[in-house]
Amino acid sequence: MKHRVRERPLSLLIFFIVFCLLAFVVYPIVEVFFYPKANDFVSVFHNARYMRTALNSLMMLVLSTLSATLIGFVFAYTVTRTDVPGRKAFKFITLLPLFSPPFMVSFSYIMMFGRNGLITKGLLGLDVNIFGWHGLWLAQTIAFFPVAFLVMEGVLQSISPMLEYAGRNLGANGFTLFRTVTFPLARPGVAGAALLVAIQVLADFGNPIMISGGFSVLATEAWMRVEGWADIAGAAVLSIMLLVPSLVLFFVQRYWVGRKSYVTVTGKMAQVNIQKTGKVMKWVLFTVCAAVSLLVLLVYVGLIVGAFVNGWGYDWTFTTRYITEIATRSKELVHSLSYSAIAGFSSALFSMTAAFLVSRKKFPGRRFVDFTCMLPAALPGIFLGIGYSIGFTRPPVDLYGTATIIILSMIFWNISTGYQTGIGAFQQISPSFSEAASNLGAGSLRIFREIEIPLIKGPFFSSFIMSFIRAITTLSVIVFLSTSKNAVATFSIMNLVSDGFYGKAAALTCVLLVISFGTIGLAKLIMGKQVQFFKV
Amino acid sequence: MAQAHVIIREVSKCFGKTKVLDTISLEIEKGSFTTLLGPSGCGKTTLLRTIAGFYDVEQGEIFIGEKKVNDVPSHLRNAVMVFQDYALFPHMNIRENITYGLRIRKMPQDEIEKKLETTAGYLDIKNLLDRTPGEISGGQQQRVALARALVMEPEVLLLDEPLSNLDAKLRVSIRAELRQLQQRLKITTIYVTHDQAEALAMSDTIAIMKGGKIMQVGSPSDVYYRPDNAFVASFVGTVNFIDGTVRSVSDEGVEVETGGTTITVRERQPAGKPAAHPPLPGEKITLSIRPESIRIVEHPAPAAAFRDENVFRGTIKDYIFEGSSIRYWGEALGKELLIDVFNPVENALHTGDVWFRIDPERIHVIPQSIT
Repeated sequence: MKHRVRERPLSLLIFFIVFCLLAFVVYPIVEVFFYPKANDFVSVFHNARYMRTALNSLMMLVLSTLSATLIGFVFAYTVTRTDVPGRKAFKFITLLPLFSPPFMVSFSYIMMFGRNGLITKGLLGLDVNIFGWHGLWLAQTIAFFPVAFLVMEGVLQSISPMLEYAGRNLGANGFTLFRTVTFPLARPGVAGAALLVAIQVLADFGNPIMISGGFSVLATEAWMRVEGWADIAGAAVLSIMLLVPSLVLFFVQRYWVGRKSYVTVTGKMAQVNIQKTGKVMKWVLFTVCAAVSLLVLLVYVGLIVGAFVNGWGYDWTFTTRYITEIATRSKELVHSLSYSAIAGFSSALFSMTAAFLVSRKKFPGRRFVDFTCMLPAALPGIFLGIGYSIGFTRPPVDLYGTATIIILSMIFWNISTGYQTGIGAFQQISPSFSEAASNLGAGSLRIFREIEIPLIKGPFFSSFIMSFIRAITTLSVIVFLSTSKNAVATFSIMNLVSDGFYGKAAALTCVLLVISFGTIGLAKLIMGKQVQFFKV
Repeated sequence: MAQAHVIIREVSKCFGKTKVLDTISLEIEKGSFTTLLGPSGCGKTTLLRTIAGFYDVEQGEIFIGEKKVNDVPSHLRNAVMVFQDYALFPHMNIRENITYGLRIRKMPQDEIEKKLETTAGYLDIKNLLDRTPGEISGGQQQRVALARALVMEPEVLLLDEPLSNLDAKLRVSIRAELRQLQQRLKITTIYVTHDQAEALAMSDTIAIMKGGKIMQVGSPSDVYYRPDNAFVASFVGTVNFIDGTVRSVSDEGVEVETGGTTITVRERQPAGKPAAHPPLPGEKITLSIRPESIRIVEHPAPAAAFRDENVFRGTIKDYIFEGSSIRYWGEALGKELLIDVFNPVENALHTGDVWFRIDPERIHVIPQSIT
């Protein structure tokens, strides 16, 4: 039951939410569109460099999406549908990159497979140039296949094994069964996964800035315009070129693929054993998963080794000076921690409140709140960053170089995940609890505080942790907003890598990873099953 | 005995540490309708799936026809299954669902069409062929699932509680239809259910299972009138149990003493079927008496009218009206008794003190050594 709002405090709350969304989501987006002059848009088509950049982005979109989705599917199929040994380990390894800064893959692969690479040069004695589209392809595949895995694991799990039994019973087995039953049922899920990966690949800034060398994509080119030429209008145009396909992918994923799912067709889930996998298939799957898992693990090995050796590529002696230096004297790390903690908490609070209002109340602007809370999920980080830098660094609102601008961008970039979690949570809590409370005389806010909040503690905590980790590992959003005064760790890692200070950069990345994994571990320890990440 | 079509010989199976099938042996006649009946967790579905080839046979042997099928994969056993939730492929329409198995067999298109035509005709689903499983009702899905199995012309048809997802009325009508279809096609059918009424109505043979073991195999009237043990008696239908000791056995019947009273039993055995466990004097036994075998009389009739045996004084405690019958809760012989009165006269309820008469021919004796 949704009630029309008549209470005063509640109206104020709604006003506050709507105001924030207008000011911190809608306004920056609009600013990006209005900043460039008409001429800037027209000149895109004459600018060979822009066109080439766009083509590069498109090429990476296709390549990385295909490879990441394929590998994600192989993993998901292996984990859910086979008896290949080591399935639990594969799943665990796959989840690691989801809690890590995305640029970390590129950084580590430069150290492992680059010209001075530990593996390429040190072990194999090869001279390999990893900079360029091929390095980017590898890095994006490893960074984003876990996203595809997660979606498709859910889809494959929800396909009733009874359907496969039925197929087997009617004469299909092995590959025929896969081709005629399992895969067609999973197809909508595969499409959904591919679209989600595509959005991430398109918006990816950290990997190309580190590894793609002279091969520029839209996200990095936008940054170059600002860094090299102070051409904000050009950056805005480029980020719009990035936004449009992102939005299209996002809406196709949400409204088209979402409806084509077969998941709910059959009712009861039967508990049945997994059928034995054919011997050849089993070893093929095992080999693929093991090889990819090794590549994932190498990322972390590279970073750890990098953080503890004196000079990468020429002096392999052990040192702890980088780690001590970071731990004792890094103001960027302090910034990262404090900004992300504030942003993560505020973001969770804001999105849960919005989710409460949308799922329980009827008020003018409800659809606006719903839509705007989901919108940031479709925005490339770069785009939002430019929006904030255009919108909030000139009078009347000049937040240039402040902590506030970084925190605000982190809050509103992350509301979508929290909001989705919140909507899901409120759907599961029966409205009759609040009806009972209301029947006994409690007002709306009191119900929210005393009935709903205790019930959504788990989802709230999960979205706090998730927002915190996304905030502390993001680079794309804050890259346009960072100055020497308010720099955070990811920004400083980017600069350290580009200046060749690998040791310090690796140490800083390792500390970020420890914080990120530590937070997850702690959350699981305290809250147990109540915290759930990535309900896709 | 007619030719055995499916033979299950000492089959056992464990899931982890629980033994779900415990040395099961069963022979299933060609063309018969056999039901595996039992409460949930008794192993009936596991046994069916083992026959279908979804589970490995860990111990024992299964034969279909002359052939041992332990190591034959599911699709080569020619034992096709209809699943409890139908397992219709949601990404195919009804036509594609039904012909799926034939297409996998690479049967020529015109032959597929012909078979589809016949089977869809039998089941009256010709008008549904172009729809998808999500667009048809539960009863229709049930027919499609059956068609998908029958079109394969299986040697053995396996049905896993196929009616359990339908509402009560539909269940009764499809029950009759399924039985008629099976009779017409003369196809060996193994049916799993927990519903004893369904089992009695449809089967040639019922195998009652409990805790991974078969408790009794027999025709519906065997298991209803002559249950081997107390479990079968109480699982199939409703029953009153009275414990007692056999005093004497003669042509006049068996005299059983219980709590100081004597009950006479003259159970009739069908021709050619001697009692499985004839009672012996001095033996401890349990009497199994169906509620419809007890009559309620307001006054005991004169001795001449019926021999004044098995008439006991008692009281009526409670009743429920069920339309075609009334069920009474009474008390006699120091025990609570259930009594069903069929074709009851309106406004003629029995109350208070009455007499109960138990028909001596309708009492079944179960030796306590078995239960």
